[in-house]
Amino acid sequence: MKFHFYQIVIVGISSIMLFQGIKEFVKREAGQTFVKLMVRLIVWGGMVLVAIYPDFTRLMANIIGIEDNINAIIMTGFLFVFVLIFKLLSAIEKIEQNVSELTRKEAMSELYDKIKSKAEEIGDKE
Amino acid sequence: MKRTTMRQKKIFVIIPVLNESEVIQSVIDELCSAGQYSIIVVDDGSSDNTYQLVDSNIGITALRHKINRGKGATLKTGIVAANLLGADIVVTMDGDGQHDPMDISALVEPIIKGECDVVLGSRCSDTGEMPGIKIIANKIGNFVTWLFYGTLVSDSQSGFRAYSHFAAHIIDTKADKYEYDSKVIREINNNRLKFKEVPVKVRYTEYSMGKIQKQGFVNGIKTLIRMIWGALL
Repeated sequence: MKFHFYQIVIVGISSIMLFQGIKEFVKREAGQTFVKLMVRLIVWGGMVLVAIYPDFTRLMANIIGIEDNINAIIMTGFLFVFVLIFKLLSAIEKIEQNVSELTRKEAMSELYDKIKSKAEEIGDKE
Repeated sequence: MKRTTMRQKKIFVIIPVLNESEVIQSVIDELCSAGQYSIIVVDDGSSDNTYQLVDSNIGITALRHKINRGKGATLKTGIVAANLLGADIVVTMDGDGQHDPMDISALVEPIIKGECDVVLGSRCSDTGEMPGIKIIANKIGNFVTWLFYGTLVSDSQSGFRAYSHFAAHIIDTKADKYEYDSKVIREINNNRLKFKEVPVKVRYTEYSMGKIQKQGFVNGIKTLIRMIWGALL
């Protein structure tokens, strides 16, 4: 089986990404979820599969129901990109909300201090 | 039957501010002369001396966000503080002098009478006070609010509102920016709160119209996107 240069590059890069993803998940590093690992496996594993067996795209086209194999790949890619963007934006939204909550707590702590000092003042007078 | 009056109720007025050092003192003075209200000013990370100016006023609760989080987050901080301080009624108004504090009595009246939980100040578009572009933007805002949140109001973007003790505790939205005003409408609908719209005056000055952080065209589009995004999540 003869390999082209692009196939070697894709397999090389994908292998590194897969290795890193599995290593981080196994080591239980922060933010490494099972869903994230699955996304990595599907995206980079899919790249390896398509690079080594280009005919896999025809099988994919048949499964999806789109006649042209390139269109099937692009469609699936778009779907993945949209899902990833959605996940990313959700994560950003969550972080933004957490930042607001922290900022609010910080602002409120000043109010608690003011109330406390006022209560002490009244206590001293009594 | 004993009548409850404004004097018997602890009315808190919340003013969210961002770089309002030019006008904030006059807004506070006007508010103080309009009635006996407890005032909470929440500074949303101003880069000028707004917070210092507010804090120098005796009897006014000045709170500060260390970083800018948006109008919605600022209002929420103010409402949380008012709830903590035992507010019976919470009123929110802008810090740029657009709203007339004399309208507060009309805003809180239906709540005092027990007619409703939330009173929305409605800027009258037919009096000629509101610029044409704002009328169009407001109509779009009202339509989108109705589309996503199911309640049609005449001014979904007005920041001049009053909440009962119950409403101030139950309304909880994660909206940080300008979409907060519309999300409150959603909360009214979801919690089946009674609401009323009361016409309020609005004073469009050169100062208030010139502020870059106001709900302009670009910010309006951003608000719209955030509302659509919020509906998808």
